[in-house]
Amino acid sequence: MQTTIQLILTSLQIGAVYILFSLGLTLIFGVMRIVNFAHGHLFAVSALVVAYTVPWLASGGIPVLPAYLLSVLAGVSVAMALGFLMYIFGFRGFRRDMVGSFILSIGLVLLLDGILLKTFGGAVRPVPEILPGTVTILGAAVTVQRFALCVAAVVITGVLYLALTRTKLGKALRAVSIDHEAAMMQGIPYNRMALAGFMIASALAALAGALIAPVTIVSPVIGADYLIKGFIAVIVGGLGSVPGAILGGLFVAAIETFGAFYFDPSSASIGIFLLVIVVLLVRPKGLLGHG
Amino acid sequence: MTITTRMKSLAFGTSLGLFATLGAANAQETIKLGLSIPLSGAGAIWGKGSEFMCKKAAQEIAQAGGVKVEGKTYNFECLAYDNKYNAAEGTRVAQTLLNRDGVKFIAGSLGTAPVQALQSLSERQGVVMFTTAWGSSIKGPKFPLTFTQMNTAFEIIPPLIRYIHGLHPEAKSVAMLNPNDATGRETEGVSKKVWTDTGVKILSSDFYERGTTEFQPIAARIASLKPEVVDLASLPPADAGVVLRELDVLGWKGVKVIAVGTGVDGLKATGGNAIEGVYMGAAVIFDGPTATSQQKAINDEARGVLGESLNSIQIGFYDSVYAIKAAMEKAQSIDPKKVGAVLADVSFTSFYGNKVDFYGTGTYGARQQMRLPVSISQVQDGKLVEKSRIVPEGN
Repeated sequence: MQTTIQLILTSLQIGAVYILFSLGLTLIFGVMRIVNFAHGHLFAVSALVVAYTVPWLASGGIPVLPAYLLSVLAGVSVAMALGFLMYIFGFRGFRRDMVGSFILSIGLVLLLDGILLKTFGGAVRPVPEILPGTVTILGAAVTVQRFALCVAAVVITGVLYLALTRTKLGKALRAVSIDHEAAMMQGIPYNRMALAGFMIASALAALAGALIAPVTIVSPVIGADYLIKGFIAVIVGGLGSVPGAILGGLFVAAIETFGAFYFDPSSASIGIFLLVIVVLLVRPKGLLGHG
Repeated sequence: MTITTRMKSLAFGTSLGLFATLGAANAQETIKLGLSIPLSGAGAIWGKGSEFMCKKAAQEIAQAGGVKVEGKTYNFECLAYDNKYNAAEGTRVAQTLLNRDGVKFIAGSLGTAPVQALQSLSERQGVVMFTTAWGSSIKGPKFPLTFTQMNTAFEIIPPLIRYIHGLHPEAKSVAMLNPNDATGRETEGVSKKVWTDTGVKILSSDFYERGTTEFQPIAARIASLKPEVVDLASLPPADAGVVLRELDVLGWKGVKVIAVGTGVDGLKATGGNAIEGVYMGAAVIFDGPTATSQQKAINDEARGVLGESLNSIQIGFYDSVYAIKAAMEKAQSIDPKKVGAVLADVSFTSFYGNKVDFYGTGTYGARQQMRLPVSISQVQDGKLVEKSRIVPEGN
């Protein structure tokens, strides 16, 4: 029983990051009908900024937790600035153009790969422990840092869900996602909504990167692994569906965790891809997809 | 001055200038040394340090007067490309180095899969290749131009495991983890055999994909098996550190082994205090009594550039440059086939401070392995302490 609880908690911890990551991907697809392969680089930039600034601020005498919070602010700001540039000089001209945006985002991946490697180097960057200690939940051990990450992910997801369902901006984004021409006829400014959607997605990726930085291996290529898992999550859940992204993220994390435990890590990776094949064969729009 | 005299003077001057130019060109003639190394990802620190050490050796050789071959002087230039530790990128790097850049000497290549990609071209094109790859399948009489520049699984793992078993005879079970590639597969084969021969039961031997960022499920599986030893044989430092940290969170306590463990800094970056007690087989200690002043100076410089101490992988890229120099001077040729033919017979002063030659007939069927000391070390109070040093014997 304790093993099962440990595995469920592990799935939730891993799934929390996948959810934040895939929410951004699904939001961009919903509003702009494009797939952004450079989304992982926003995640990586934020994590790298955190990894560089926390030790720097801490060495200047600032306690670790405030240093981390300041670094999160810096990381999210830098990643959002990068997202803004990507949109203005790139994706703005390729809205609702799947092929064009695909080629553009692949080009951006190559460009940003080079820039990140040149700027930050290829080596792994350590982030000091922000919240030391371990908590025990129903007999299963979880680090305080991971637990805080999960809480933050739940709060962010909840806020996003409320924003999309209750606020004017959220309703406009959903309207554009369902039928952008009908939305425009109702007076919703599509251009502004596309930018808003892209920036919210960038912020989600940046927050995910900043949150995961203290508990993972931070390097310029960190986004690649999460990008693949995030894409699988949105395909399984349904492209453009927010609940689908959440469900997909948890599915991928559960297969990764239970598969690695009962078989081995490589079999778990194969299992994730098998899941995608099965979902695409049985329900091509994804589990909760509608478009 | 008549026109004829002027013409003669002009011809003489031009000839003199031409000879002087040619002479200068000869003095500055450069031989490119190719490097196929990971410069991104978890293994990047190995690659960056390897490039640093290749350049360091090339710089030292240039300052000492270069490589003297048939009255000419040559210098080395290190040319590095990122193989991302995988076969696909390794193939691209191989084609770039050999077909585009025309490199005839590979001063180092890292990662069995990219090295195999490189070797498929290098042997065919008559290019001398040094490698840190652990696979026994890449050496032997079939590959006369391939040489190994560091101790491999075959040199490190048997003495390391026997030493650990001697210290912890109560440990009767082991869980093993390796990357799912040629390096991991080759290492696993050697480790498995030696653990079994020493009477330790293998509870699991798993593989994971390079680039993995979440190690919690892997750690949960290992911890649930309750092994007395965890052997993270060929994991890069960053990955190994995370696994040990996650095992620590789950409350696992036991003997920790990283056969290819090359140093404490990279491991500590992700593993924190969970790395205490780890046994390693490929680390080099620079603050001990055996370290020379030259080693310390170069290591200090490397720490400034890389942020961590040098390790045996990176040192191999220094030694290979001196081995190539020694072979060129012995062969009095820069033809890679002639240089390759005499390499097995040369000896040179290694970074470790002693004269090093090549051996390996017993294991590989040919003398293609540098005879380097095997250093067994352990992390104690966050620092590496050398526990034993073994110099291999035989031909």
